[in-house]
Amino acid sequence: MHELSVALEVCRMAEERLEPDALPRLVSVGLEVGDEAGLEPANLQFCLETLLSAPPFAGARPVITRLHGDALRVTFFEVEDGCSED
Amino acid sequence: MAVQRIDVRERVMARNDELAAGVRARLRSAGVIALNLVSSPGSGKTSLLERTLDQLGEELDIAVITGDVQTQNDADRLARRTARLVQAVVTGGACHLDALQVETALGALDLARTRLLFIENVGNLVCPASWDLGEEAKVVVFSVTEGEDKPLKYPKMFQQSRYAVLNKIDLLPHLRFDLDQAVANARQVNPELRFFFTSAITGEGMDQWYGFLRNQVRATAPA
Repeated sequence: MHELSVALEVCRMAEERLEPDALPRLVSVGLEVGDEAGLEPANLQFCLETLLSAPPFAGARPVITRLHGDALRVTFFEVEDGCSED
Repeated sequence: MAVQRIDVRERVMARNDELAAGVRARLRSAGVIALNLVSSPGSGKTSLLERTLDQLGEELDIAVITGDVQTQNDADRLARRTARLVQAVVTGGACHLDALQVETALGALDLARTRLLFIENVGNLVCPASWDLGEEAKVVVFSVTEGEDKPLKYPKMFQQSRYAVLNKIDLLPHLRFDLDQAVANARQVNPELRFFFTSAITGEGMDQWYGFLRNQVRATAPA
């Protein structure tokens, strides 16, 4: 039921850890969600997709790994480096 | 374009837990014991607090923070039972209180004049279990109209709570509610749970609750 609160906190963590100009280049966010974390993964996925498609983000994809237990953590951020390969 | 992977491995609740630790330290140094009341909607948290304020509000310098999704109804009800400010937090849709809301609410309370703080959480047996507010203990309020299997259906809330108040026991003669089974179910998910059996309406069982609160306050001296 509190998936939106968790998704907002994940976005805050991204904004805290990444430079502002990297946020639109964020392509994926990794999360581990335990089956006793009190969260519905599909609902969390929807909340994250919605928030990550609005500025300062530009469509980053949540990658949720389900685990046993009560784990709830962000595991990685993947960012395009912003340099074109020529 | 190359993609750079930044490993994080940080708990999503880390910031809330850090704020909660700050709240806990502040309350402990002020000699205030905080109890976080959690329950489903309608279990009688506000009625329990009304009667507790009538009996012990002045004796134990009780302050209250209430949380509701909408309205300040609970805070208004409790304000009629105490001269102290009842700090209302309206979450505006969120299904729980968080540590930042409690930290902010503490700013409005006179902690030097407080020995016991009740945080009446949003009525919800799921989400508040995940948020540490800096309380000394969670107290789950559970009423006899809810069914004996609530602890099995919502184990996390009962696992996270140190105390359980089984409320509305005045209604037992009218219900098919197996009290022993309810307690057994709760102890199945949390063997350490300490129970109180109360009716906030008739006052039955409230003396044990009051005695417990007096002991908690007595044991919590300012640091």
